[in-house]
Amino acid sequence: MKRKLGALATSVALAATVLAGCGSSNANDPNTITFWTPLTGEDGAYMDNLVKQYNDTDPAVKVKHVVTADMYTKVSTVLSSGKGIPDLTIIHADRVPGYVKQNRLESMDAVMQAQPELKEDNFLPQAWGAGNIDGTQYAIPLDIHSNVMYYNKELVSKYGADSFLEDDNVTIDEMLSLEGKLDEGHYVVNDALIGWVILGQIQNLGGDIQKDGQPDLNTDVMKQAILDVKKLNDAGLMTPFGEDGYLMFQGGNVLFSTDGTWSSTAHATVENLDFGVTNVYSASPDKFTNRASSHMLAMFNNEQRTDEKEQGIAAFLEFLRSNSVEWAKAGQIPASKDVVESPEYQQYMQSFFTSTEKETESLYIYDYEYYSYVAEAVDKYAIDLIRGNIDIDEGLQAMQQEVADKIGQASGGAAAGE
Amino acid sequence: MKKKLNLAPALFVGPHLILFLVFILIPTIYGIYASFTQWNLAGSPNWVGFANYKTILFDSDSTFHMQFFNGLKNTLLFVLFTVPPLIVLPLMIAVALSHKKLKGKTFIQSVLYLPGLISISAAALIFTLIFNKQLGVTSNVFGSALAWTTHQPYAWITIIVLTIWGGIGGNMIIYRASISGVAEELYESAELDGAGPIRRFFSITLPSINFPLIYTFVMTTAGAFNVFGQPLMMTDGGPQQSTSVLMMYIRQLAFGSGESIAGMASAMAVLLGLVILVISALQYYVMNRNSN
Repeated sequence: MKRKLGALATSVALAATVLAGCGSSNANDPNTITFWTPLTGEDGAYMDNLVKQYNDTDPAVKVKHVVTADMYTKVSTVLSSGKGIPDLTIIHADRVPGYVKQNRLESMDAVMQAQPELKEDNFLPQAWGAGNIDGTQYAIPLDIHSNVMYYNKELVSKYGADSFLEDDNVTIDEMLSLEGKLDEGHYVVNDALIGWVILGQIQNLGGDIQKDGQPDLNTDVMKQAILDVKKLNDAGLMTPFGEDGYLMFQGGNVLFSTDGTWSSTAHATVENLDFGVTNVYSASPDKFTNRASSHMLAMFNNEQRTDEKEQGIAAFLEFLRSNSVEWAKAGQIPASKDVVESPEYQQYMQSFFTSTEKETESLYIYDYEYYSYVAEAVDKYAIDLIRGNIDIDEGLQAMQQEVADKIGQASGGAAAGE
Repeated sequence: MKKKLNLAPALFVGPHLILFLVFILIPTIYGIYASFTQWNLAGSPNWVGFANYKTILFDSDSTFHMQFFNGLKNTLLFVLFTVPPLIVLPLMIAVALSHKKLKGKTFIQSVLYLPGLISISAAALIFTLIFNKQLGVTSNVFGSALAWTTHQPYAWITIIVLTIWGGIGGNMIIYRASISGVAEELYESAELDGAGPIRRFFSITLPSINFPLIYTFVMTTAGAFNVFGQPLMMTDGGPQQSTSVLMMYIRQLAFGSGESIAGMASAMAVLLGLVILVISALQYYVMNRNSN
């Protein structure tokens, strides 16, 4: 009997250990700020460095950086259970309105009071604004990461396209002027991050993705944006459908690549690739837009977060504001004005996007509450619309319907169909 | 007379039972409950009765209706394309490996089994590179000018090749073990009676491994219905959602960007579960009846 009880105890202990392993540890440690980020790539290592530098200053409350794959799902889980909620989290700008609507985010008022330099004047305006809902600051920006356009200096020079870059606005018409002039296997532009490109064009054409809070995708402006970009495809100037345009740019076969600020670090490792960066091409000769997002530092509601921890969080955020030039190494544009105006930052390629007021204004962050649904639909349909694989009117209708249906299902979402 | 309580069986099944309850049964029941709600994962589920099922099955204007039927169609195509080769090929290999004069059986078996140990993501990365137009073997060695993953039927071919490459090893091991258990005398006497290899295969081998065949057929089919990683990694559901399988839509609705639509996703998952249940039961019934 004793042996059986022993076996039973072992079984229970084993199961308990396995189940306990599923739980979150450290989340309620009063001496540690648990800091969740979705930075699963190279940028996670740069954030590790920043956290280490901060902890080396011997702060009252240290920070523990937890790179969390599939973070938003895990956030939903911990919010639902109320256990293991992180003290501080990096969320994307487009998530802020949704979380605020669900009453999940704590205001940053106490943090801003503890560190007076955490204020609007010290951050890039659109990044700061992305964390502000109805006058309350719910998140402090770390950076802006944007859609940009890299160019191959050698090819641009070879095809006489240097003049396109002079006004920092490469227009679609200028690109089309290269039709019939390229060697075989060379292309003017690739289709990397094409959804972001389209969202930028919408701003160039004076449109938007919503009207009075309802999604507005089946519009003349959206159609025009897609048709303008489609001209590049139809002229044979865009890298062929299905080919890896990003690699083709790195391989020296494409003049322009519309990917992200963060790609500069990868492009820099390619031998013999002499490249520069400029704004994403535009249909308008007067306006250019680089569709952007921001990593925001936010606190989910958590009763167990002590005042001491909030003070610690404030100190850490102030450290990030002052020292985030390290973050520029990851290819990001720090949101701190002190950093982007510092001489040290000017060595980074992405400093181009804060070099003038007009450039800074070109970094556009959508703040529509259901932007995530819109972006998902645009990403899904834009490429086939540009390539002419599906009828444009049907595609636009499908995009509109998809977003409206999802909003209809989202909790508290108003019915939003056409 | 009081019957003595015997704890021994409970001790053996106990740990498994606890894990089964925590990770399978309770989540399944909660998933079924969630399918009758509108739920964003973070807040409280809002009971909506059969509304999600009505939308999915009957509202032809709804995106979710389109997603469910497109996803189910593509999932069925995947099942049709992959299950027969995942039964026939391992069986043929197992039979070939059972030949007495064959040398290096263990080596061949290991080579064929190894891909099954590699995670689907890593395997998909390898095959993405193989079929990559710039870097891949298909273009640089075989001179293919195709962008495989964005044109049909090639997109399906990449998914099928990856699935078969990774999947034959598991079934092959089961068939190998079963065939080795068939009495050698049966083959010897059949040979004396003049039965050729094909006759021996159909009259002795196949009937002798009937149960493993049913088992692998049912499990391979159920596994194929749950396909997710291969199309996600190889084609991302394209071109034009022609390889978007149901699990991809379910995953995207529940854990995509933006607020979760977990209620609708759960309803789709329940419907998929029912389809798998019915097909598996049919398979079992048909094969078992034939064997009897």
